[in-house]
Amino acid sequence: MTSRYRLVSIGLHLVMTVWTLFVLAPLCLMFVAAFKSQADIFTRPLGLPKTLTFAAFERAWGIGIGGFLFNSLVVTALSVTLIVVVSALAAYVLARASSRRMQALYLLIVAGFAVPVQSVLVPLYQFVSAAGLLNSQIAIVIPYAAYGIPFTTMLFYAFFLEFPRELEEAARLDGCSRFQVFWRIVLPLSGPVVASAAIFQAVFNWNEFILALMLLTETRVRTLPVGIYGLIGQYSADWPALMAGLAIATLPLLVVFVAAQRHFVRSMSGLGK
Amino acid sequence: MTDVTQQEPRSPRGRRDVLSGAMLLPALVLVGLFILAPAAYAIVGSFFEFTITSRNWVFVGFGNYARAAGDPVFWTALRNNAFLIVGSAITQVGLGTILAAILDRGVRRGNAIYRTIIFMPVVVSSIAVAFVWILILDPNVGPLNAIVKSLGFRPPKLGWLGDPQISLWMLLVIAAWQNVGFQMILVLAGLQSIPKELYEAAALDGARGFRAFRYITLPGIRNVLIVGTLITVVGGLKVFDLVFVTTGGGPANATQVLGTYSYLQAFRLGNMGYANAMSVVLLAIAVLFGWLQLRLSRKA
Amino acid sequence: MPSLQIDSVVKSYESFTAIKGVSFTAEPGEFVVMVGPSGCGKSTLLRSIAGLETITSGAIRIDGRDITHAEPSDRGVAMVFQNYALYPHMTVAENIGFALKMAGRPKTEIAAAVAKAAKILRIEEHLHKTPKQLSGGQKQRVAIGRAITRAPDVFLFDEPLSNLDAALRSQMRVELGRLHAELKATMVYVTHDQTEAMTMATRIVVMNAGRIEQVGAPLDLYNRPRNRFVAGFLGSPRMNFIKGRVVAAGGMGVTVQAEGLPMPIQLEIEPDADLPTIGDAVTLGLRAEMFGQGAPGEIAIPARVAVVEGLGRETLLYADAGDLKTFDSESQDGYLAAHRASQVMLRPGDPLTLSIDPAAFYLFDANDRTLRFPAVSA
Repeated sequence: MTSRYRLVSIGLHLVMTVWTLFVLAPLCLMFVAAFKSQADIFTRPLGLPKTLTFAAFERAWGIGIGGFLFNSLVVTALSVTLIVVVSALAAYVLARASSRRMQALYLLIVAGFAVPVQSVLVPLYQFVSAAGLLNSQIAIVIPYAAYGIPFTTMLFYAFFLEFPRELEEAARLDGCSRFQVFWRIVLPLSGPVVASAAIFQAVFNWNEFILALMLLTETRVRTLPVGIYGLIGQYSADWPALMAGLAIATLPLLVVFVAAQRHFVRSMSGLGK
Repeated sequence: MTDVTQQEPRSPRGRRDVLSGAMLLPALVLVGLFILAPAAYAIVGSFFEFTITSRNWVFVGFGNYARAAGDPVFWTALRNNAFLIVGSAITQVGLGTILAAILDRGVRRGNAIYRTIIFMPVVVSSIAVAFVWILILDPNVGPLNAIVKSLGFRPPKLGWLGDPQISLWMLLVIAAWQNVGFQMILVLAGLQSIPKELYEAAALDGARGFRAFRYITLPGIRNVLIVGTLITVVGGLKVFDLVFVTTGGGPANATQVLGTYSYLQAFRLGNMGYANAMSVVLLAIAVLFGWLQLRLSRKA
Repeated sequence: MPSLQIDSVVKSYESFTAIKGVSFTAEPGEFVVMVGPSGCGKSTLLRSIAGLETITSGAIRIDGRDITHAEPSDRGVAMVFQNYALYPHMTVAENIGFALKMAGRPKTEIAAAVAKAAKILRIEEHLHKTPKQLSGGQKQRVAIGRAITRAPDVFLFDEPLSNLDAALRSQMRVELGRLHAELKATMVYVTHDQTEAMTMATRIVVMNAGRIEQVGAPLDLYNRPRNRFVAGFLGSPRMNFIKGRVVAAGGMGVTVQAEGLPMPIQLEIEPDADLPTIGDAVTLGLRAEMFGQGAPGEIAIPARVAVVEGLGRETLLYADAGDLKTFDSESQDGYLAAHRASQVMLRPGDPLTLSIDPAAFYLFDANDRTLRFPAVSA
């Protein structure tokens, strides 16, 4: 009995280990290759770098990764803030309204969730260019915000529906205006859902590619994913520099993920409900 | 006195409506202007022929749709989307569920490490994923070729991504590599939300092992599986970044999907109307699945 | 110490009417308990007084001042909620002082008011804690403290003790009574627990299906319920109700044949009640503690013990008396409830003789209006 149990246990560990290594290998490859010399890449595809060199990072930085990193930080920070604030406000009003008209407005916003960005590329390009907002890392925040709002509004809506009404009623009796109820009572107690929303949107927007590809055509304004993509033609043979650039693009979210794992997992568990 | 009492209710309630409106407006404007209006505009535009620069729209009726029906590449793209959707649903949801079940009941040691590492690729941008895998699969410097050769096999002549017979399968592998962790955590959360008492009650009722799985576990994660499957399906429908960077739809359109093909038509070939028509097809399928998700999750 | 006047209040929702025209006045300093089964409209009425619901018609006045349309915070009311509704992100002191802070009072004044409330409620040592660190009873005190600092004209309580365990509940009942005596404030208290109503109220408002059934002092309602609903609602165990039919009527009395009683009984009816006619369906009511001791003139009913609830110094017996059944209690299976003020050595199945003095019966007409009250012996 016990030996059979141990055998099963070892088998299960084996399954987990195999997949874990399969997941880990490409990530390791990215970081290892970033420390290799160009010659190493060709002569020793499986080996570790002969000498630890930051040369690839320097080359990557030299061709503009720093600028992309800055743009990505600005775009992500602004869009996540905008999404969270706008969605929270709207979701609160909608969750506290009972009229048919308001329910229709909620459905209208949520309907936006069913529209893939790929299906509106042409009109979106026309809109943005007609508004003269092409090639502005500030302007791209607005469509980013728009595409984050439906999902985030749903997230907040579900949270506010379960928020204890008695607290809000007590606050109204204590002299809070409607906005003060939201600002002083509801928002300070919305930490978990704000964290969830911010995490999801930070991952989406940090990694967003297709809108940035279409709307940011000048290198100067590009975010990391399109920025790195745009460099390929020029530096196609420089694998270490490319991997160094990708490592710079990837590391911030990996660090955030490992540090805030609990939040990630909790955010995810809300999705299945 | 009566006047005062009748006036009083109006002003606070009026102010409340204005406040509600002000809180709602930004979301409505953004969603309306950047999602719903473009969607409507894409539908209208699909009945015209025009280019990026020209302001001159030519009405062609269902011409763009007829063109799609007669375009073998469009059908290839649609078929490839379907392949990726079905393949991803099987590999990602299936593997995710298996790994989650092992984490939930099977292994105690190393649980956190497995979970952390397997989820990692989810937060990596698909561009980085694409490039890393290009390197791995590269015929000249790729480690995969080196491994295959060292084991005494011969790697495909045209390269893993260059061989039209293999490239789509490779995309499936890459997608699984990136997304299994997401499904795993989703299902794991579902498994852990099933109260332990249910299993205890079931054990007292004589249901253990497979029967406990059948009557307790499966109904308990039904909703999670629906959500996970639909997320995968929509992901397979919307796939763009990965294909665009790794193969660009090639070789010879072998990995073309709706996303990349309509991008090609619109921004490389300037056929905006035709691209719109394909976008509308994509939109219609996406809305269908969105509606399905709503229906299924309500039932549960 | 202002009065609270409820004037023909109606509250309708889209599909149903929760309050169907309710009027009463809480006099200054009164402790009014609104009691009734769930869904009777008592909570809606309380929330309407607080301004958390907008009433459809009618008026609410405090000391003659019409507050029907005033904002909740401008009404001069404070409310204690069932789930305490303490702000989890504030300390106890901040919770208690929040209303004054919102009113823009100076910090020293807030601190003094908080200290005073804490002293009255004996929670001084908890002021720096957060609600999470408190027990249920302590939370409830903080919630009451929050109401006290506002120095409201009227205190509103919405089932404040229903989340506490039995021991704490009876302790808090005593404390609320003390608090009422100390503050001499007008209080309106909603509960579905008739014990709370009987023990704390200066006056009880019994509500049912959106209407007031009866208003009065606790013992008045207990002894002289206006109808069968009030008779059944107040008192535990529930009054035994027995079906009967009028076989003779005349003068000041009727003769009733009750189902399961060996002989018809003669009952006087109240002078102001309408005399029923022969053949009318009526209901006899008998409280559990009104069974007799076997004195002459009482009717002896052979029965069998079904359930014994020994409570220590008293005993509740549920007796199977054949055809003599109480008819409107689902849980009791028709068994008659009898109260004995002592310990009883009986077991289920033992025979038992129930002795009934006809004078102890209540009588209700076909519309459940009370036709007669028994004389109260004590």
